[in-house]
Amino acid sequence: MTSTAMASSAQNTKKLDGLTLRYLVLIGLIVIASVGFSFANENFYSLTNIGILLRSIAVLFLLSMGMTFVMLTGGIDLSVGSNVAFSGGVGVIALTTTGSAFIGFAAAIFAGMAIGAVNGFFIGRLKLSAFMVTLATFALARGLALVIYDADSINVSNQTFLWLGGVSWGNMPVVIPFVALVFIALSVVLYKTTFGRDVYAAGSNFATAFVLGRRPEKTLVWVYVLSGALAGLSAIITVGRVSSGQPWAGLYLEFDAITAVILGGTSLFGGRGMLLGTILGVLLYGIIINGLVLTGTNPYLQSLIKGMILLGVVLLDTYTQRGKTA
Amino acid sequence: MPDLGRLLREKNIIFVTLALCLLFFLISPRFMSVENMSAISRQIVPIGLIALGQFFVVVSGNIDLSMGMGSVLFAILLGVCFGLTGGVAVGIVAVIVASLALGFLNGVLVAKLKLPAFIVTLSMLFMAQGLSGLIIPRGQQIFLMGGFFRFVGSEKFMGFYWSFLFLVVLFVLAYIVYNHTRWGSYVVAIGNSEENAKLAGINVDRVKIGIFMFSGLCSGFAGIMLSTRMGFVQPGLDGNGLLLDGIAAIIIGGTLILGGRGTIGGAFWGLLFIGVINNALNLLNVEDVWHQVFKGAVILAALGANWVLWQSRQAEAH
Repeated sequence: MTSTAMASSAQNTKKLDGLTLRYLVLIGLIVIASVGFSFANENFYSLTNIGILLRSIAVLFLLSMGMTFVMLTGGIDLSVGSNVAFSGGVGVIALTTTGSAFIGFAAAIFAGMAIGAVNGFFIGRLKLSAFMVTLATFALARGLALVIYDADSINVSNQTFLWLGGVSWGNMPVVIPFVALVFIALSVVLYKTTFGRDVYAAGSNFATAFVLGRRPEKTLVWVYVLSGALAGLSAIITVGRVSSGQPWAGLYLEFDAITAVILGGTSLFGGRGMLLGTILGVLLYGIIINGLVLTGTNPYLQSLIKGMILLGVVLLDTYTQRGKTA
Repeated sequence: MPDLGRLLREKNIIFVTLALCLLFFLISPRFMSVENMSAISRQIVPIGLIALGQFFVVVSGNIDLSMGMGSVLFAILLGVCFGLTGGVAVGIVAVIVASLALGFLNGVLVAKLKLPAFIVTLSMLFMAQGLSGLIIPRGQQIFLMGGFFRFVGSEKFMGFYWSFLFLVVLFVLAYIVYNHTRWGSYVVAIGNSEENAKLAGINVDRVKIGIFMFSGLCSGFAGIMLSTRMGFVQPGLDGNGLLLDGIAAIIIGGTLILGGRGTIGGAFWGLLFIGVINNALNLLNVEDVWHQVFKGAVILAALGANWVLWQSRQAEAH
């Protein structure tokens, strides 16, 4: 964890090599998992099922990319799952009262950003621990969602609002190229802008970043706002996928996102990781979860398996990293 | 002599809680009735056990997210053992052993392998949730009947529920351990600075494992209390709500979330505060959907107050 974004180029190539190896392993595991599940379910490889699979993890792609930014700064965002329900609720209410899909879109994204701003204020400005603050907003956002929906779902029929999450071009859901676009945009932000370098700097060494005048506390605020905005986008996709707004949408999605990001090689302690790893992590994790659902696994067994995957990956990571630094 | 700031902080939450009681009494006179007061005293028992275990974890600068779902798992474990043997002795021994084992596992992963506590305990939360649904036949409830459950759940001694008295005794014991034993001061030392604690010759790993075993045991007790109060167990009980209430109680009670500072007395008043709020929300017929908003907001406000506390501590240090 001594390598920072500002480190020498020699260190950079070395860091990339370690990650490249991990990405190759991930790709291998993705292939193995797909083959395994294709035995369990012969429809696994059909184009339709791949479309369904990708659509079902589209939201996880977005949330995990936001989580990657957060975790690169050394933080965590437990509120994103609840935020999906909350911002979806705000968006659906705005849509049904005004009748304009675009006001609905804007309302959902702003609502997501508002929760993110609350997180960012408490974590960045007041320097409180990220998991405590986002645990509070985890409860708060879910509660607000329940209030907005009055604990009941609301059907949505506006085709423009449902377009992003619901429409397919042939076998290709439109949300897939959309996720790819978001990935490209966020990659540009992370690797080609000063903000991206500030994200790595804040996570590598907060004090040094502060001394160098990079204003890491401000970076933190924006990272959580970004995570919230992606939760708002995810809410729009979630509503589009099921044609209704649900107060319990996104339940425990933050947990899936954290697991996928760690799986993708982003360090829990900040400063190390890449968006590409997160994409591979989501793919592998998504295939496993989707496979468990397709094979009709008991949901309680699923959550046991999820917990074991998270703990296993963290254990493995710490073990290998410690081997390197020693 | 305790320092003035600490005393004042404890008094703050006392005043706020009493003021709230008065307010609720004015809105609904039934609030202050003896029946309602003893109902509150029984409702807060599982939350209080979670808060007590979490207190030591948080003072040492960690967090145990597995306590809520853990207690659901242990309640179900008790129920399953009861269903198999028809008695409670085996179940209680099983719960105590299992809860200590969970705490030990958390402690070793955090202390020895240096994994972040919130990730370790988050994964335990999900494993506990999964197990709680796997050890009981799907979609079933186990009803708990018999002397033990009636005794702990609804018998009183001198006007107080036995479960509440049990909680009070545990708080008193914890007070003594925290304030008057070497182990208690080790917990504070680790929360202030792990490095310094190590330099001072404290076996940090062992103390940390002990802290997590205690929080595990507390969630085991909470599970037992949960099952006696409800009279049945089933998967899908709201373990996370319990966890949040417990954390809220100690933060409201002035425990510094960054570790190193907090009082048992404050935690107890924070617990009463949460108990009064929970009870009043029900009594005043506030819609269910608002409860969680309220709790999230209360935790967030308490975190803000915590920040003020932290600032004053910084000011003291300079």
